[in-house]
Amino acid sequence: MRPGELMMRLRGVGIDYLVQRYGYRSIKEYLVSIGSKRLLERKRIVQDLDLDIAAGECFGIVGRNGSGKSTLLRLLAGIIEPATGTYEVRGRVAPMLALGVGLEPELSGLENARLCAMLMGGDRPAMRSTLENVRDFSGLSEDDLRMQVKRYSTGMMARLGFAIATANDPDVLLIDEVLAVGDVAFQQKCYDRIGEMKRKGCTIVFVSHFLGEIQRICDRAGCMEGGRMVKVGNVHEVGVHYHGLLGIPTEA
Amino acid sequence: MQRATDLTIGRTGRSPGIPWSMVMEVAWKNVRLRYKSSLLGFLWTLLNPVLYLLIFLFIFSRAFAEVENYPVFALTGLILWTFFATTSAHVMGSLVENAHVLRSLAVPPLVFPLAQSLAGLFNLVLSFIPFAFILFAFGWRPHPVIILIVPVTLLFAGFVLGVSMALAALNVFFRDIGLLWNALLPAMFYITPIAYPPGLIPQDLRWIIELDPLHHYIRMFRTVVYEGRWPEGDAWVTTAGLTALALILGAAVFRRLRPGFIANY
Repeated sequence: MRPGELMMRLRGVGIDYLVQRYGYRSIKEYLVSIGSKRLLERKRIVQDLDLDIAAGECFGIVGRNGSGKSTLLRLLAGIIEPATGTYEVRGRVAPMLALGVGLEPELSGLENARLCAMLMGGDRPAMRSTLENVRDFSGLSEDDLRMQVKRYSTGMMARLGFAIATANDPDVLLIDEVLAVGDVAFQQKCYDRIGEMKRKGCTIVFVSHFLGEIQRICDRAGCMEGGRMVKVGNVHEVGVHYHGLLGIPTEA
Repeated sequence: MQRATDLTIGRTGRSPGIPWSMVMEVAWKNVRLRYKSSLLGFLWTLLNPVLYLLIFLFIFSRAFAEVENYPVFALTGLILWTFFATTSAHVMGSLVENAHVLRSLAVPPLVFPLAQSLAGLFNLVLSFIPFAFILFAFGWRPHPVIILIVPVTLLFAGFVLGVSMALAALNVFFRDIGLLWNALLPAMFYITPIAYPPGLIPQDLRWIIELDPLHHYIRMFRTVVYEGRWPEGDAWVTTAGLTALALILGAAVFRRLRPGFIANY
């Protein structure tokens, strides 16, 4: 991937969630109407979204709860399809939408690494390199890794999850405020790792409530509100806009 | 990096296929998990039907004196029943239990019902070995047609998969499906001629068991294992038809409900 080349291109993207309408009454109505009435209601979560992200860029997304940030990440991760518009995400995507996803408490750290590598769409060689990465990066000892994950502390889980997600040199890394857990040393290690991946040319989309985190690692940012990307620009501009939304006065 | 463009996610670039290596990995995990922290492990699979068998022997063996070698008759029914009851329950819960993964990774939802079904099938096949010994102890002797156990088992597994993938999809929206199913299972157990011979049902009520799909599979399984005969042509037609119907309907329900999964896990 050459720097400057587009990695993600979204045009007029709208994402709907199909939500159950009004509980059990709806089933009766649905059955009585023999399927002519809809059981699920369409709710638009993200709308009219245009976004270009270039290779090697680190793009931050801020916004309030429920503004559609995580939904957008799910689209980029290939978990959901848009209802309207077109989108394209190039390269191998590593989603970190939650830490410890797919970890099975009864299995050991290593067994979990294998399983998660598969769930992330890997093949056998990918599985092997995931195991290596977990040994190198997680900071967990061989004994820890052979222990059942149910005996892990939250921090250990985070270490394992992060190591699994960042294995196999992804081209795109999607991070949804998952670094809040873990101790400061681990967080620092994560930021270092993210920086290292960025230098290798990995494109990063980073969602956070905390402007500080975004300003620390991102080149560019966007602010979401009510399912729309209301502001895109450098981290400072977006920060001012976001604080304006929250009603927090910004200095200067 | 050449490979990157091949892996593009987007409207056009998505492959709709089932990632079988992923399914196998999850299925194998399910097999291991089922017995991980239990002392008796695999023996649990046997314990349930064997306990039922003992109860049946105690209560019914005199009542059904006309049934030749009643323990073998009962056990052949129980083996399939146990597979049906446990696998359908496991598959039904598989989407909801893996909601966390399905919300955060690009895993096709169908992977989990498929993996649970495969794990159930694996378990069933494995349990044939100890069951053969138990049957042997009751005087059963294998006949060359026993080889037909392979297509019969596969047909039944396909039927169970079809039914339970629809249940799994519905269960995402209404958790009552699980409770309802648990209430229905014992009813199905008694309607289906498992403990008693089908001949016991009065002629005018025969249609009830004819409408019960389980009865057809169990009858065919018994023809092969218990009677040591080649099943009649219409038995093959009926079961193959039922399996195809279950798979088509199951897949249709699953497809139709799938777009709503993400917001309702």
